[in-house]
Amino acid sequence: MQVIRTRAQTILKKKKREFFPIGIILILISMTAGGNVLDLGRSIPKRILDWQAAGKDMVYNRKTLFDYMDGGAEVYLAFSFKEAFVRKYQGPNKDEIALDIYDMGTPEEAFGIFSCDRQDPEAGIGQESEYGPGLLRFRQGRYFVSITAAGDEKSAEKALLELGRTVAPLLGPPGALPAVLQWLPEPGLRKDRTSFFHSAINLNNRFFVSGDNILNLDARTDCVFAEYESGPAEKGNLLVVRYPDKGRAQAAYRSFCKAYFPQSGEVGTAQAEDRTWTMARVRSNFAAVVFKSPTKEYAERLHSAVRYPLR
Amino acid sequence: MKYTLTRRDFIRGTAGVVLGTAVGLPQESPIPVKKTRVILIRDKDALDENSQFNKKVIQQMLDEAVMKLLGQSDPVAGFRALVKPEDIVGIKSNVWSYLPTPPEVEMAIKQRLLDAGVKEEAIAIDDHTVRTNPIFVKSTALFNVRPMRTHYLAGMSGCIKNFIMFDVSQEAHHPDSCADLGSLFLLPQVKGKTRLNVLCVLTPQYYGRGPHNFNRRYVWNYKGLIVGQDPIAVDTVGLRVLMAKRRKELGPAQEIPPVPKHIQIADTKYGIGTSDPNKIELIKLGWTDEILI
Repeated sequence: MQVIRTRAQTILKKKKREFFPIGIILILISMTAGGNVLDLGRSIPKRILDWQAAGKDMVYNRKTLFDYMDGGAEVYLAFSFKEAFVRKYQGPNKDEIALDIYDMGTPEEAFGIFSCDRQDPEAGIGQESEYGPGLLRFRQGRYFVSITAAGDEKSAEKALLELGRTVAPLLGPPGALPAVLQWLPEPGLRKDRTSFFHSAINLNNRFFVSGDNILNLDARTDCVFAEYESGPAEKGNLLVVRYPDKGRAQAAYRSFCKAYFPQSGEVGTAQAEDRTWTMARVRSNFAAVVFKSPTKEYAERLHSAVRYPLR
Repeated sequence: MKYTLTRRDFIRGTAGVVLGTAVGLPQESPIPVKKTRVILIRDKDALDENSQFNKKVIQQMLDEAVMKLLGQSDPVAGFRALVKPEDIVGIKSNVWSYLPTPPEVEMAIKQRLLDAGVKEEAIAIDDHTVRTNPIFVKSTALFNVRPMRTHYLAGMSGCIKNFIMFDVSQEAHHPDSCADLGSLFLLPQVKGKTRLNVLCVLTPQYYGRGPHNFNRRYVWNYKGLIVGQDPIAVDTVGLRVLMAKRRKELGPAQEIPPVPKHIQIADTKYGIGTSDPNKIELIKLGWTDEILI
């Protein structure tokens, strides 16, 4: 972080001579060096097309996020969420657009929250984005942004996308993807359906596994959930979890097998009533599960192709 | 014995064991049981062509539901079976900005309370300030009314979850998929007072996205009300509608919202009502197109 600050300060010094807008540099310094989201919010125009900022800008942290969200706060708190900036815009018909900017702490965590709920086509905003009626989501650096229309989505669409295009460049440089994505086998991987997260709440919202936390996931586990499809007999879902140590991985594997395969003759493998296969494996401090594979062979192949970063 | 619900239970069709059977169909019981009556009433004119609520139709729906629920031939007589003129009545609504309780439903309840002889100054409609609202503090009867929607943690927001504002801390109810929401009905301000539960399925939400778990794409005009005296039975029926809609729109893999176990736990642990379909008498009235259950 110190290196970034120093580099930014160097840029500031140099550009000052060139009459570079100092305000923009200060914002960039603030963002790359951990400045707060309110400073960032101040740089965002209060008028977007014919929509005008309405009400007071709000900032929420890990303690106050509950005041803003009904039940959704835990989804963000399961990541390294720091702060959220919220501004409402009002349109000519008094419809509302809500701009939410979440400082997720790191680019990896921003990817995580973005990746857990992807369904719409890419919108070309920020590092990665998606847009569907009434909802624009994108990530840039360590920020995740959600822009939602509360009223008529059609009439809000132009302003909503324009707001996204205005905000994205203000969020600083792009960030890296989580290293955990490198564990995944490439053939058949649907990258747009790949999610990174830590906790059971995110897994269950992505793909319901169990009403209880049978894989013992928490803030210290790194999980990647991916969908595969390269043919009718070659599809399924792969979950890979990295635990802090071997003991926890073994315990989670046993817990999963006990709950999921209570009557299975073969340990860690079962064919469900819908004819698909579920197969769990444990290796060092990793546990992995293939769900919904049409064949046992494909499940085994997916498992053996996982690129565990073992030393 | 604690039973862990997994995806496999849904594949097998045995999830009903745990979920209060929201997914299962009632089985014939060899022993006759006293059933809790729940009314599902729908009217294709409950919303007009612009999706605006039709006040007159909604009043008729509530009236019919209450008459059928209580075996009365007149709606006012039905409400007189629920309240006495001297009652102090809190109507626990829901103000969530994206999908609030429709005022037309609140007013339909209030109108019949007035008709039943309850004084206007003894009726309050509230949500976030029910703990300090003088009428709610002194209340002798509660009416529970809210829209049905999915929820990130609880799986479903229904009549059980609607009472969360009666507790000092809402967050305290979040752990383990909001498993212990049933305890709300044992709070001193609530216990034994709930006379009627109205789960608005006029425009329910079957799936949630975005920070507030809301996107209008996932709201549909079901045009119904689910009405009963047992909030657990009402939510059990609501969950069946919700899951049927999810199955239809999202496919079997996403049929279950994660994970509405609070409904069954409100029954088995807190004894608030029943989530057992064998003990629920579901009566369907009115419009049947796309009824789903």
